[in-house]
Amino acid sequence: MSKKILIVDDDPDLVEAVTMILEAKNYDVAAAYGGIEGLQKAKSENPDLIVLDVMMPDKDGYAVCKELKADPALNKIPVLLLTAVVSKISTTRYTQQMGMETEADDYIDKPVEPEVLVKRIEALLAK
Amino acid sequence: MGKSVVLASSPAARRSSNEVLLEGEFMPDQVNILVIDDEQIMRDGSSRILSKDGWGVITAENGQLGLDVIKSRSEDIDVILLDLMMPGISGMEVLDHIRAINQNLLVIVITGYATVESAVEAMKKGAYDFIPKPFTPDQLRIVVRRALEKRSLQKETEFLRREREKSLRDIATEKSKVKTIINCMGDGVLVCDRDGCIVLTNPAASRMLKVSETSLLGNFLSQCNLDSELSKTIDESLKAKDLSYSSVSQEFSIGQPEEIFLRAHTAPVRSDLGETMGSVTVLQDISHLKELDKMKSEFIAMVAHELRAPIAAVEQQLTVILSRMAGDVSEKQEKLLARAKERTRGLLNLIKDLLDLSKIEAGRMVQYKEPVTLQEIIQRVVDLMRVEAENKKIDLQFPVPSQNPLIHADRTSMEGVFTNLISNAIKYTPEGGKVWVTLGEEGGFAKASVSDTGIGIKKDDLSRIFDKFYRVRTVETRQIVGTGLGLSIVKSIVDAHLGSISVESEEGGGTTFTVLLPKGSNPTTC
Repeated sequence: MSKKILIVDDDPDLVEAVTMILEAKNYDVAAAYGGIEGLQKAKSENPDLIVLDVMMPDKDGYAVCKELKADPALNKIPVLLLTAVVSKISTTRYTQQMGMETEADDYIDKPVEPEVLVKRIEALLAK
Repeated sequence: MGKSVVLASSPAARRSSNEVLLEGEFMPDQVNILVIDDEQIMRDGSSRILSKDGWGVITAENGQLGLDVIKSRSEDIDVILLDLMMPGISGMEVLDHIRAINQNLLVIVITGYATVESAVEAMKKGAYDFIPKPFTPDQLRIVVRRALEKRSLQKETEFLRREREKSLRDIATEKSKVKTIINCMGDGVLVCDRDGCIVLTNPAASRMLKVSETSLLGNFLSQCNLDSELSKTIDESLKAKDLSYSSVSQEFSIGQPEEIFLRAHTAPVRSDLGETMGSVTVLQDISHLKELDKMKSEFIAMVAHELRAPIAAVEQQLTVILSRMAGDVSEKQEKLLARAKERTRGLLNLIKDLLDLSKIEAGRMVQYKEPVTLQEIIQRVVDLMRVEAENKKIDLQFPVPSQNPLIHADRTSMEGVFTNLISNAIKYTPEGGKVWVTLGEEGGFAKASVSDTGIGIKKDDLSRIFDKFYRVRTVETRQIVGTGLGLSIVKSIVDAHLGSISVESEEGGGTTFTVLLPKGSNPTTC
């Protein structure tokens, strides 16, 4: 049975693009277009992993992640944080710190290279 | 030059214009001797003897006439030969008058009936010397010469006295000028002596620092309750032995609730022997600039964020298409899309730099200062850059330094500094070249240099490379992608750490960037 991944991002174009990557790798994909919707779907869709955007207008990724990790029913679901900063070490360290602070399981800069995204997801699911 | 009547307009001369009472003439720029004697023979004789030596001689046949000349020309007369025994006003009386006109005039009295008493009396009245009648030409010459020697010493002394007065006056004028300038300046000025005592300040400084001028002047820095960073910097500038320590700029804010932002430039004052004599700090109120800058930074941050999201989405879509996850892509399409992706990548880099810059300018980037060793930071960056260097077949070296200075810095932004410098060095060095980083200490500073064997920088460009958006445009750099913000970010970060960055380069001969950062003073308390 294929694993289900929930994508939470307020940008529909980005959701669509990431969906295509994941579907090409035969994952089931569910989408949420905001933080609040993301939390609801985390409960209703029962995903195996959540790809979570940081910058969202209603509730940002850090807040969503905090709530997920505080919920005993959901805190086992790995969270891959999609950070908004282009990869350069001066800033990745910063986001890395933020990622760790929010207890996300991993973080990745967007836009993402498809192979990198898939590898990270596989690694998280294998844990 | 023959004899001529001078002072023809003097009353005495006019009164007896049918007689020649006054003979001879003053020679400009030359020694002039006035002979006052009632005897024609004496006048003519003296005149002849003295003229032979090239001196100008004027003779007057009585005391009144002589005094008239002295009154009008006392400056031009060097020595006066005065006969004591004359009809009319006596020689002694004339001597009294001469002394009253000008004390410095040298009078040699001629004593007709060589009585020692009258000579002594004349000397007591201030005559310089005496010569008894009759005298030989040589005796006259000797006496006059001695008087002239005295005269030249007098002149010399007078000249020196005037010079001294003039320079004292000049200094006083200069002092008052400097004081006026400093007091009128809009910028604050704070001058300390080598003990840290404030010796000069101005109203602007006390206004900016919100401390009264009287509690600044004459007090030690430590007593003035100044901003601690500022006192520390001034203190360091006084202690700096290293001649390369020139000046430090820093920004700080003071006052609540109406906060004002100040920029301070501090530089040591050195004697010509290189000894530190004191320290000068110039303060600028930059509150207004800060406000504008903040608005600008916020605007840039806002625009950048707004731009970033759609461009990131476009690039994400491109990566999906290019990885064939949205169906087949022809070779031609792939080429175009790959190009498009390069362009979005360039835009995202530009936005990232803009965000970095606005963060630094908003003071948010260098907030987390902690004790770090530069070796650790540089090593980390060098490790990350190794792949990039190897791809270009560039030999990237970071030899283990003999000193490992500890600095007080924001680790993340410090990594940004060296990433930028090393990445630039790799970018601007042709394949097969060499890039090396050295680390050491110099005075109170940690000194790190990034050198390369690259294309170098033209002299004209050198002064501008730290400007925002400035890029060196040549045939060689056309292919190199960049935003023109990297070095200005580097400089902002180094400035925020109270350090300095400099560059040395030769066109075609490689480039070296040198960063100086103040060493962490006490590692245990950091």
